[in-house]
Amino acid sequence: MSHSVEIDPKEAWNGGQSPFRLSYGKVFMWFFLISDALTFGGLLCAYGFIRHKYSDVWPKAENVFTHFPFVEQHIPLAYVGLMTFILIMSSVTMVLAVEAGHRNHKRGVLIWMFWTIIGGLAFVGSQAWEWYHFIVGTDVGALRMVWDPEVQNYVEKTIYGANMTVNEYGAPQFANFFFFITGFHGTHVFSGVVINFVIFMNALLGTYEKRGHYEMIEKVGLYWHFVDLVWVFVFTFFYLL
Amino acid sequence: MEFHDDYPEYEKMAAHGEEDGKKLRRTLWNVFWIMLVITIGELVVGFIAPGKGWTGSIYLKVFFIGFTIIKAGFIVMAFMHLGHEVKFFKYTILGPYITFMLYCIFVCLNEGTYSGKAANRTPIDQLLVKQQEDLRAHKHHGGGHETAPEHSPEHH
Repeated sequence: MSHSVEIDPKEAWNGGQSPFRLSYGKVFMWFFLISDALTFGGLLCAYGFIRHKYSDVWPKAENVFTHFPFVEQHIPLAYVGLMTFILIMSSVTMVLAVEAGHRNHKRGVLIWMFWTIIGGLAFVGSQAWEWYHFIVGTDVGALRMVWDPEVQNYVEKTIYGANMTVNEYGAPQFANFFFFITGFHGTHVFSGVVINFVIFMNALLGTYEKRGHYEMIEKVGLYWHFVDLVWVFVFTFFYLL
Repeated sequence: MEFHDDYPEYEKMAAHGEEDGKKLRRTLWNVFWIMLVITIGELVVGFIAPGKGWTGSIYLKVFFIGFTIIKAGFIVMAFMHLGHEVKFFKYTILGPYITFMLYCIFVCLNEGTYSGKAANRTPIDQLLVKQQEDLRAHKHHGGGHETAPEHSPEHH
């Protein structure tokens, strides 16, 4: 896989060639990913700030996300473990599609792209399910101070689940950051699925075969791996720590 | 002057045959298995940590963050292929980002800890924390998951 042509550092930046031995498109996909990574990094740093500030009233994730489909008992972390598995798995199928593209193996590209799209859809669906249970909350609910506009004061009220202003499980900031960061990540996954689908259709119609190379798969693959990379961090900071 | 920056040239260098492909696929699957084992290990530790009273300990944080960075390294270096790109490019991508993020993490966590100390809280923060603490101690709390004491695992 290593590039056969070594670059002379004195010549590399003289123009006429890419000093990175990479195509324009791939380099700029990396630059875009850096800017996107700064956005996610900023969001996670803000989360760290608020979490350290309200560390004594911060809810524990293993008490919040305990549901699992078709299972009555509460199993903390199991479902998010499954989601992580799905996303890592789809990252592997993506890299296998890239590898098949390097061999100009159209059928391999199509098969692995198909499984990548399925994995992405499964992940987005799982996230919707998780949001649903977080918003609906437990049967018993919890007592919280809620602003009552009629009496112009906070009154005690039993609330269920979480939204942008109240959170059954603890500090409302937890819900704010959860919705924003996982929502922003979910948007990335969704757009990744759409882009993957477009690329899949192009590969199916033989666009890349005609072009002679499957570089587009690699560029989209970079984006898809980035989505997986972000999830690894979100998973740690929201669910484990 | 002829302009050589057309992607097919670079892309053709990445092309490989069936033999290399087999080797590469084996490497990629190995990376996947390592990442799966790490993730399962993290989940197991996350599952038993409250019962063992590890929650919030520095060792647990180092464990989770350390393995997260290892996983991130695998994704970036193997899946995203950055480990095989030229040295200049690796440093161009990672250098500025890591430098800036280390600074940002330091500033955010430091300031968050400072402003979270009881003496440094603004009146509205004091109110918010007090409300949450009162509600946590409240008798008619409803028995939701968050009502159990911090260290008890048996409330499920």
